[in-house]
Amino acid sequence: MLSIKNLKAEIEGKEILTGLDLEVGPGEVHAIMGPNGSGKSTLAHVLAGRDGYRVTGGEVELDGESLLGTDPEERACRGVFLAFQYPVELPGVNNTHFLKEALNAQRSARGEPELDSVAFLKLVREKMKLVSMKPELLKRPVNAGFSGGEKKRNEILQMAVFEPRLAVLDETDSGLDIDALKTVSDGVNALRDPARSVILITHYQRLLDYIQPDYVHVLAGGRIVRSGDKTLAKELEQKGYGWLTGKDEAA
Amino acid sequence: MNTAGMTTGTDLHRLIDEALPVLQTGRPDDSWLANIREKGRADALTLALPNRKQEAWRYTPVGFLEQTRYRALTDGPFKALQLSDLDDLLLRGGTGPRLVFVNGYLAPRLSELSQNQRGIALSSLSGGLGPVRQALRSRMGDSSRHADVFTALNSALMTDGALIRIAGDCMAETPIEILHVTVNSEEPGICHPRHLIVVEEGGRAEVIERYCSLGSGGVFTNAKIDISLDASSTLQHQRLLEEGEDARHRSDLQVRLAEHSSYQLNQLALGGAWSRSDIKVTFDGEGASAELDGLMLARDGQLNDVHLDVRHEAPGCTSRETFKGILEGKGKVVFDGRILVAKDAQKTDARLSNDNLMLSRSAEVDSKPQLEIFADDVKCSHGTTVGELDADMVFYLRSRGIPGGRAVQMLCQGFAQEVIDRIPNDGLRARAGAMFEQRLAAPVQALAEAEEGVEHAG
Repeated sequence: MLSIKNLKAEIEGKEILTGLDLEVGPGEVHAIMGPNGSGKSTLAHVLAGRDGYRVTGGEVELDGESLLGTDPEERACRGVFLAFQYPVELPGVNNTHFLKEALNAQRSARGEPELDSVAFLKLVREKMKLVSMKPELLKRPVNAGFSGGEKKRNEILQMAVFEPRLAVLDETDSGLDIDALKTVSDGVNALRDPARSVILITHYQRLLDYIQPDYVHVLAGGRIVRSGDKTLAKELEQKGYGWLTGKDEAA
Repeated sequence: MNTAGMTTGTDLHRLIDEALPVLQTGRPDDSWLANIREKGRADALTLALPNRKQEAWRYTPVGFLEQTRYRALTDGPFKALQLSDLDDLLLRGGTGPRLVFVNGYLAPRLSELSQNQRGIALSSLSGGLGPVRQALRSRMGDSSRHADVFTALNSALMTDGALIRIAGDCMAETPIEILHVTVNSEEPGICHPRHLIVVEEGGRAEVIERYCSLGSGGVFTNAKIDISLDASSTLQHQRLLEEGEDARHRSDLQVRLAEHSSYQLNQLALGGAWSRSDIKVTFDGEGASAELDGLMLARDGQLNDVHLDVRHEAPGCTSRETFKGILEGKGKVVFDGRILVAKDAQKTDARLSNDNLMLSRSAEVDSKPQLEIFADDVKCSHGTTVGELDADMVFYLRSRGIPGGRAVQMLCQGFAQEVIDRIPNDGLRARAGAMFEQRLAAPVQALAEAEEGVEHAG
């Protein structure tokens, strides 16, 4: 489903990804862990098509077609979803209106009929139960004045509404207390599907107690240095990253 | 005797000489009105044209005055207009009474007067709605000299206007709408609407004031509005300037607030080649409050100017001024926000802000907030920002499948939404939102495409 081969990317002339390989099959959940500065967020942004990152080599294919060189909106319509580590506040842009416009942009790009307001609201109400989000947050501007937990719930709500083929969750656990982490994780688990792949990017093993990955990878120095199953995460928790990167990490 | 190349001073003579006799003979002009006209005429002929050496006009060129030979617009067109011609201009959901002015003249056939409510007395300068009451006449004139040529010209040549008196027992639940429509003739036309609104002690009212164009054409609307709020009265005043892109507009709005009165202004200036509003709010009595919200849209080649002069001359008054500008292409926004706190105006609370969003590096913002404080126990603040679109916000929307051009548009709307959302009337709020979106649509698309072109080339 997602195939990344020898991916190299730089930002402002500095090489961050140095030859990254990753194969993600349908329905699989892959956790990518690694120390700060290893390139985790860069990978997330390169997959989503963010400006400012320059891909200097390698290939990224989704369902056999290249993603590289396409606009972020085209990737979204092809089923790529990025849950942001720091969801952006959009003052004055109504959350419900935004969700509807985005969903319909994706649907019409895929040749599906747009949803009218009634059908859309029905869908959103149903999906909101997944993340226990307060209904009034739908009436507010996107993320504006939301707490950290509310922002992350809003990200997972979008994932539930858009039903992406590939969801990349960039440090979704950061800034969450244990209750919010549990709610958000329950939401992600409910969205696991044989046709949907998930990449969980995280610094800590804690998230993986709630969302059980099929595979765990360690990213260091811009490439995957170790892959394994979920026991690898436990090992990292005990030993830190130093034994894989050759550096001491104070964390 | 007018030939090309004559000075504008002489051209003003010509304009006044042509228009004034028509106004004086064609209408039942009273002597009180004739006096105001005469003073306006005298001032117009002696005042210098605005120029860059005057602080109030430093960033706002008026060269078009010298390049355009204006003719007074006539009331001819409204005789041919049907209500159905205004279909696209009317607010959804309806309002209360609606006074329609075409080229500055009241058009009774297009107006809606049957919904008038108790406590509202409507009349018009031209007498079309019955005689003007003595109580209003005395509030029309002002013994001081006109501040500039435009206001003097308005006094000399005011065509028509609404005179509205809200009685103390009026709790108007539906707004009174003043709808201006200009219909262009072949020559560039000018008109001078003049309104007066008086809310008597304890009264409450909502007024919507709109300016629209039918067809294109470089009409210049030179309006003057005077508002008096008596003690403990309330007025919600909503202004939407949505004239065509080659129109020019000048408004001189003066508001006087007596003790414990309250004034709310929502002004959205969305168009025109040149638009200038002077808004002067004077606190005459203790404990009054004013909230002024504004939006200025300057598209490529357009100028949008708001000059505020808020005068706290009585103690314990509160004012909030929140103005936002959006600029495209070579658009220009001028904002001058002056707050004066007089020596005796202790416990004044005044906050002014002006935020501008530049969608183009060729645009220009001249923002000048000024606080002049002569009292020593006050809370005052002012702030100005000028920014570009946030790339993180654009990316967030695009990562959700929304095309770049539309993302930019949504963010601009978001920026404007704060002002639009505060419009109390549902129909006007919907129209303002739709007009804003429509006006912004094409240039934003062009902008986004241009940016994408740069990216691809790079």
